[in-house]
Amino acid sequence: MPALKVHNIVFRHDDLFELQLERSDVSFEPGACMALFNEDGDSRPYSISAGTQENVLRFLVRRVPNGRVSDWLALRKPGDTVEASDPFGWFRPGRSAPAGERCVFIATGTGVAPFLSHLRSNPFKPPEMCLYGIRRLADAFALEELECLSGFRLAVSKTSGHGHFHGRVTDLCEQIPLGEDIHYYLCGLDTMIEETSQWLEASGIDYTHIHREIFFYEDGQD
Amino acid sequence: MKMDKTDAWLTTSQNEPRGYIQPQTLEELWFHTGTNCNLRCPFCLEGSKPGDNRIEFLTLDDARRFIDEALELGVKKFSFTGGEPFVNPEFVAILEAALDHRPCLVLTNATEPLMNQMADVLRLRDKPHALKFRVSLDHPDPAKHDESRGKGNFKKALDTLGRLHQAGFGVSIARLMLSGEDSSAVDQSYVPFFRIAGVPDDITIIKFPEFHLPGSFHEVPEITETCMTRYLNAEQRAGFMCNFSKMIVRKNGQCGVYACTLVDDVNGYDLGPTLKAAMEKRVMLGHHRCYSCFACGASCSERA
Repeated sequence: MPALKVHNIVFRHDDLFELQLERSDVSFEPGACMALFNEDGDSRPYSISAGTQENVLRFLVRRVPNGRVSDWLALRKPGDTVEASDPFGWFRPGRSAPAGERCVFIATGTGVAPFLSHLRSNPFKPPEMCLYGIRRLADAFALEELECLSGFRLAVSKTSGHGHFHGRVTDLCEQIPLGEDIHYYLCGLDTMIEETSQWLEASGIDYTHIHREIFFYEDGQD
Repeated sequence: MKMDKTDAWLTTSQNEPRGYIQPQTLEELWFHTGTNCNLRCPFCLEGSKPGDNRIEFLTLDDARRFIDEALELGVKKFSFTGGEPFVNPEFVAILEAALDHRPCLVLTNATEPLMNQMADVLRLRDKPHALKFRVSLDHPDPAKHDESRGKGNFKKALDTLGRLHQAGFGVSIARLMLSGEDSSAVDQSYVPFFRIAGVPDDITIIKFPEFHLPGSFHEVPEITETCMTRYLNAEQRAGFMCNFSKMIVRKNGQCGVYACTLVDDVNGYDLGPTLKAAMEKRVMLGHHRCYSCFACGASCSERA
């Protein structure tokens, strides 16, 4: 189990931060996660948001109430070490779409991490569309990078203004391109994934083209 | 009880000869795909969870070596358990290799790791041997299942069970067995869910008693040689999994052959690096989980 040195912690606000760990010799594919351990040996899996060519491993961490691992990670300082598992995972944005097939990414919250990893690793394979749902603008990660994508749409549910869509990301379902050659990757909140999957299947999309990864639950279950 | 191969391995605490099974045949070879799992169930008999590495990922090279050796020994079936097998990055390739030779059984929680690889799994219908899935549905009450396995996972597992059946794969389920339960009534209460999923009412239901966490110690009656002959007949003794199967487990970078699917937490049950050597070794019934097999007739296997 590698012990990785903390490179930096960048807070978006008190409950949301990017943890950067020095990469050492860790190799991974976009979409991979690593279990990060606190000092008591408790662990939680976090998806890597860094590109495969970067020197640091980036993780987007949302502090959960009484979160034994997320609270502990939030208190790390540069130079501290964090024990981590080897990378693993079953959600691989873009991997199931062979050459010529198209992808649509739909994320809420920190569920954008695997998509950022894909975009940073494969800048010449952008998705057909990327929908990103957050509650407040302060919750957004890497907005400047994402806004470079021609098919990017931001949905902010709690605040309006700044030119973004005001509402839940599922309110944008009607704008999602439909096609037999498109693979759909959904990551983040359970209810978003469930609603969007149902909408896609009802719209005629084969279930084998719908790829899912739940990061957190509407009711706050960890 | 000490579980290394000292005298305590051969005799009980009362100094009576310990009960044992002398393996007769290799009908079924199990592979442990690794204790890495997408879920974190508090009761998991393997202690599996995301990122766990107590038992490492089986590799395609490992699997090929033991598939070849098992074929020489006349194996009839390959079976796979985890962890969640579909978390293993080489698992679909391993299944492909195994299905070239024998029918296969996969134990799965039927959630995202399998759901996200369904396109690859559907291609396995073209292989020369049949593939069957055993999906974990712990309780016939979705809320109870989700209490341990995570919200929404009963529905996902049920949906996937139905999709696998409709795709032409064999399916069964595994559930937890509660002490004092009316087993046929519990089995029957799954039927409405089977109908929702579109699977037959009478699919096989494998029931598992409480096996406790790996490495835990539980006071259970010890099994003596006398117990094995006084309380069990020859057919019942032959039904012990350690009589007709073995399991491949990868730890610390190398594979060992273990006596069965439930004893990989005790190194004494590592019977060696080859199946031939392992088949010659007597299996002493000293693990607390051996008592479940003795008393409940528990078996991970689905023999035809």
